[in-house]
Amino acid sequence: MILAIIHDAFKNLSANLLRSGLTMLGVIIGVASVIAMIAIVEGGQVWLVSSIERLGTNLLFVWKKRLTVEERRMFAGRNIKLKYEDALAIRQHFPNLTIAPKVGFDGQLKIGDRDFSGHISGTSPEYSEIRNFFPSAGRFVTTEDLRGWRRSVVLGKTVAEVLFGTESPIGKEVKIFGGVKKMKTKDITKVEKQEQEIVEEYRFVVIGVMEPKGEIYGQNRDEMIFIPVTTALRFFKGNDKIDSMVIHVPDRNSMEKVTQKLHQFLVQRHDGVDDIRIRNQGDFLGAVEQTLWTFRIVLGGIALVALLVGGIGIMNIMLVTVTERTREIGLRKAIGARRNDILLQFLIESTTISVIGGVLGIILGIVTAYGFGNLVAQAMPGGGDWGAVVEPTAILIAFTFAVGVGILFGLFPAMKAAKLDPAEALRYQ
Amino acid sequence: MLIHLHNISKIYKAGDVEVPALINLTMKVEHGEFVAIIGQSGSGKTTLLDILGCLSHPTSGEYWLDGENVHELPDAQITTIRNKKIGFIFQTFHLLPRKTALENVQLPLMYARVPHATQHDRASELLTMVGLTDRLYHYSNQLSGGQQQRVAIARALANRPALLLADEPTGNLDSKSGNDILNVFDQLHQQGQTIIMITHDPLIAKRAERCITLSDGKIVSNQMTHPSSKILV
Ligand SMILES: Nc1ncnc2c1ncn2[C@@H]1O[C@H](COP(=O)(O)OP(=O)(O)O)[C@@H](O)[C@H]1O
Ligand SMILES: [Mg+2]
Repeated sequence: MILAIIHDAFKNLSANLLRSGLTMLGVIIGVASVIAMIAIVEGGQVWLVSSIERLGTNLLFVWKKRLTVEERRMFAGRNIKLKYEDALAIRQHFPNLTIAPKVGFDGQLKIGDRDFSGHISGTSPEYSEIRNFFPSAGRFVTTEDLRGWRRSVVLGKTVAEVLFGTESPIGKEVKIFGGVKKMKTKDITKVEKQEQEIVEEYRFVVIGVMEPKGEIYGQNRDEMIFIPVTTALRFFKGNDKIDSMVIHVPDRNSMEKVTQKLHQFLVQRHDGVDDIRIRNQGDFLGAVEQTLWTFRIVLGGIALVALLVGGIGIMNIMLVTVTERTREIGLRKAIGARRNDILLQFLIESTTISVIGGVLGIILGIVTAYGFGNLVAQAMPGGGDWGAVVEPTAILIAFTFAVGVGILFGLFPAMKAAKLDPAEALRYQ
Repeated sequence: MLIHLHNISKIYKAGDVEVPALINLTMKVEHGEFVAIIGQSGSGKTTLLDILGCLSHPTSGEYWLDGENVHELPDAQITTIRNKKIGFIFQTFHLLPRKTALENVQLPLMYARVPHATQHDRASELLTMVGLTDRLYHYSNQLSGGQQQRVAIARALANRPALLLADEPTGNLDSKSGNDILNVFDQLHQQGQTIIMITHDPLIAKRAERCITLSDGKIVSNQMTHPSSKILV
């Protein structure tokens, strides 16, 4: 006979579609928002981590540390700053590491009446391998290029298109202007020392064009220009100082140990001055992870508010209908309903609404998350694939909470009304 | 004897103020009687009927129904009494909205755990008896007041109660519909149904066999009505 009460409860639901629908809406909003937000954040994390890993794996980045004026004065005369020799020395001392030094300057490439202004990087053959970034035509800079200070240049895809259109640039000549070389020249009269700034201009031969890679982590790789590091230092810098080094460590587990050893090694070479900084990808991931946590907390907060709003929505509907429902309970009791009959009816009603709402919420949440993922993927050139990651835990938490709230608020007025005398409940104002 | 009220008092508490609605009231009703209760508004009629219908508890006194001291019984048993022994008819009908006439009449049968097929047969039989054969599947809001009250009568009779209670059953109806309801009561009374009906209209009260007058929570008169006076209505 309990079946009859269950049947009656379902009939009540379909007879009161508006009330059922509005209550359901509260649950749907709560569940969908939590699931979508968490899926989007998790998707973002996967995207960020993969885009960082696409930069190459197991990498150490060595920079010179910016010294304060005071420090510079204090360390004057000592053998400080990151130099090309440092890279060569590391190569000798740590034969299992792969090293690419880098020195950059802003310059302009010219051929005929076309030109391209951008950042030019001097580096070594290892760079291509380490950064997982290869030429699609011709070749990258080689050891021979380095040894002979050759004026060879490798163009990013966009650069090649701007300068040469559809023509193949390989073997063609371009002029490169750039690099401010500070030269201490002694006047012929040897009377006064003079510092002169010279903008250099040289003819280069294009030896390769890089594969398209798009924008990664704020840098458009298709606009990069590579020349041999030795050439860059000799023709455009006039000194031995490099900006940074990228080092590939074969064994991921030894990253920390290698970092320490490298640090020690370089400090020693710099007469005991610690003017270098070594970062590894883990540090980047750590930073990203931190950003994501901020993200997570903010979005989690919003989701929680949505869940709460949903809960309050449910409560509101229940409170609005409490007069009608209290009278209904009074009448049912007056004609012979037991307290358990009433509670069972309301339990079934609110459970059904909440569970249906919860399931719809899950569907809506997942659809929203994937929809957002697609939107982001379309908005990002170069194929950011922000696949939403729908976490079963998120679904479980959101569903349990919203359904719990729905059932609780559905049952609460019924429990109160079922305690009243039928006479009181019937005439409830 | 079906009903024996002994020294029943009911005091409502509205904040700090105590409102005595019934004061040491004693009355008896035999099986098969048709009793009218009249009195001015606020005299305690509804309060009395609520107690008789086990819809509320008296503050003090004893209520014997069919040999049982009702308010000493556990809640579950009082529920069964409401379901099986009492049929209640309200001035405002109190049908469940968004349910059909048939579904409304089936409710007490459902709570009595009557099999569904039997519920359906019994409910349609009752609705036929009150003249609503062609209104079984109408929703409450598609029925006139008189029709709604007849559905309510059918619902009250569902489990063949020993006692039919009606609180101003014609109060919200025009005189034609009201008369139809009273005719149903007459018919039920002739079949041996015990009926207690509240009214504030002395003419309607004369349709009963006996008339109890309440004033300020006390019985001020209790007398048989003159049978010939029925003709006057
Ligand atoms: N729930 C209540 N709380 C407080 N006082 C009430 C309540 N119900 C009825 N009363 C009071 O009890 C008295 C009797 O009321 P009632 O039985 O409804 O009278 P009648 O039905 O004869 O008009 C009235 O004075 C009324 O104001
Ligand atoms: Mg009244």
